[in-house]
Amino acid sequence: MRRIAIVEDEPAIRANYGDALRRHGYEVATYASRPEAMAAFRTRLPDLALVDVGLGDEVDGGFTLTRELRALSATLPIIFLSARDSDFDIVAGLRLGADDYLTKDASLPHLAARIAALFRRSELLAAPPSIEDIVERGPLRIDVKRLTADWNGQRVDLTLTEFWMVHALARHPGHVKDRDALMRDANIVVDDSTITSHVKRIRRKFTAVDPAFDRIATVYGMGYRWGE
Amino acid sequence: MPRIGLSIRAQLLLVLTVFLTLPWLGYEYVRELERVLRDAQERTLAGTAQAVATALHDRPRLFANPPDPIGSFARERANDQPGNGATLPPSASPEIAQIIEGLSRTTARIWVIDRDGVVLARAGSLAQLAVPTPESWSSRLSRATIGRLYALVLGQPYEDFDDDAATQGAPRGRDVEGALAGILTTDRRPTSDGKAMIVSAAHPVWVGDEVRGVVIAEQTGNAVLAQRNRAFERLFNIVLAVLLVGSLALTAYATWLSSRIRRLRDDAERAIDAEGRVRGPLASSDARDEIGDLSRSFSGVLARLSEYASYQEKMASRLSHELRTPIAVVRSSLDNLNAASLPDDARVYMARAREGIARLTQILTRMTEAARLEQSLSDVAREPFALDEVVASCVAGFRVAYPAANIACTTPTEPAIVEGSPDLAAQMLDKLLANAVEFAGGGAIVVEVAREGGNAVLTVANDGPLLPADMQDRLFESMVSVRAGSGSTGPHLGLGLYIVRVIAQFHRGTARAQNRADGSGVVVTVTMPL
Repeated sequence: MRRIAIVEDEPAIRANYGDALRRHGYEVATYASRPEAMAAFRTRLPDLALVDVGLGDEVDGGFTLTRELRALSATLPIIFLSARDSDFDIVAGLRLGADDYLTKDASLPHLAARIAALFRRSELLAAPPSIEDIVERGPLRIDVKRLTADWNGQRVDLTLTEFWMVHALARHPGHVKDRDALMRDANIVVDDSTITSHVKRIRRKFTAVDPAFDRIATVYGMGYRWGE
Repeated sequence: MPRIGLSIRAQLLLVLTVFLTLPWLGYEYVRELERVLRDAQERTLAGTAQAVATALHDRPRLFANPPDPIGSFARERANDQPGNGATLPPSASPEIAQIIEGLSRTTARIWVIDRDGVVLARAGSLAQLAVPTPESWSSRLSRATIGRLYALVLGQPYEDFDDDAATQGAPRGRDVEGALAGILTTDRRPTSDGKAMIVSAAHPVWVGDEVRGVVIAEQTGNAVLAQRNRAFERLFNIVLAVLLVGSLALTAYATWLSSRIRRLRDDAERAIDAEGRVRGPLASSDARDEIGDLSRSFSGVLARLSEYASYQEKMASRLSHELRTPIAVVRSSLDNLNAASLPDDARVYMARAREGIARLTQILTRMTEAARLEQSLSDVAREPFALDEVVASCVAGFRVAYPAANIACTTPTEPAIVEGSPDLAAQMLDKLLANAVEFAGGGAIVVEVAREGGNAVLTVANDGPLLPADMQDRLFESMVSVRAGSGSTGPHLGLGLYIVRVIAQFHRGTARAQNRADGSGVVVTVTMPL
């Protein structure tokens, strides 16, 4: 059975998330503070960690924990869960090596969907790719099973949310995806400006691989489009 | 901005008028001086008269003569020709004349008369010797200007007075009466034409115990008058100069003072923008006086105000952050409840609870939207973009999202390229259109981009209800709304137009809302430099 660690200082949320994930068939261990979680992680690593950014008195306790956790394991899927939704927090969290960042607005089914996807990604990363799960759009190559994206043969390191957004756009090139469609496809509930910053980050990641990248076009007032 | 009626400079100059009493004090002082001088003059004349009398005492022979026919004759002649100063009665007694001759060089006129008023001898004259003094240009200038003023205020000495004695012989004033009674008496009397004052002293000449004659020493008051005038002019000139220098210095000082205060005022006004937000700290002055103190205290107040403002600004985001956790508790609980088996009638309440939570979340998102936008502005890269294209695209998107809305869009033939962020412009238009759709209530919405001068002008007009007159400027402030409250589709915090203004300002532009001139609707205008 897969083991999920929830590090969250709010007891009610901790219990609710724990119950929901157990219902999905996971084994759940919950911790209220960073030292408590770290002590447990040193003994045994979970298969996935759900970390709140603010932990009791430690405002950035979740960030510290992630750094320590990444030192223990480079591949362990980590999801940030926070009441904060500022761009700064998201960028900071992702830079520390988190695989995804969710605000506490996310519903439990959304959360479960992401956790399942992350497990699938880490599971299939080693397995050989199958043809039907590959989406190719010019230099872009998306492996839907493994949730990975390559540009010109180079891996673009996307978070789950970002991956799903790229996938939603690239599957139907030329079609305008509005914000609602993107949110639906990416299993997130955020406001418009957060979609904008997600798209900005995606563009930046592709531009880092290929400075001439300009496939994601903004259609003002409507949404985004993958250009051929 | 209207300034207070009386500036500090004017007030200080008003205070300076107190010193205008200085000339009056000077005048009083000079009057006192004049009295002293007059007394001295009288004493001198008395001394002269006494000295002459001393030389004539106890010489009965001199006064033994009968009334002199020559003197009588002369007096008659003088009566025939009045007003002729050259026909003064000659001396009737050559001996006395000889004695007093030496005194003729004095500035006084000496008479010796007998008990009957017959002039025995006379020496000297009342007329002053005019000493021509070379006049410097400055004294000539002052005589031409301020001298005229003095001449008006001060009695001037006249040398062309009518000498009564020339026509009426020896004086017979109070002093002569006194002297005949054996007492040294002084007197002053005006000349008949009133142009001059004659000061005289009469001393009795004793022969034994009997007063046999009188010595009269006369002088005009002109010398004293001239001296007084000179003193007064000198004093007045000095006072005037001091007043002038003083008021110039005070004016300069007041100008400096008020310029410092004005600078402080301008700084204080600049430190807070039209919305009452603190733009930046006030440079506190190092001056160790009260104005420096004021500036420091202003700076302190502003710093505290700015702390408070930033506390308030963070309040919304902190509040939303604090609220998110309990909302997450409720939401996750509902999600768990949803997974459990529920009776059908419970599902209705479940759905309502979810709806309420969704609305609460929306409110929180909007609360932080403006604050987040402001935070992110500093990292937004500016790029040139075609505003008309963004607007056209947004309007097209909006027509899809609100099929019922009646939106007309006009763009210029030439693209309106502005510098800024197309994303933000789209966000701004989104707010404007959402507002317009809601207010139009099915009426027409007209979006127009135009090039006017060096600006791109974006107007969004709707046929909705008019704005209250006092709200037209305040609409763009945070948390200000004119919505009726009920009947709208979502929560309204009055942040939409505030975001519009923030974005307009990011593009170095302005935003304003007005009622149409014909009262048919409302126009929101955003102006950005091209």
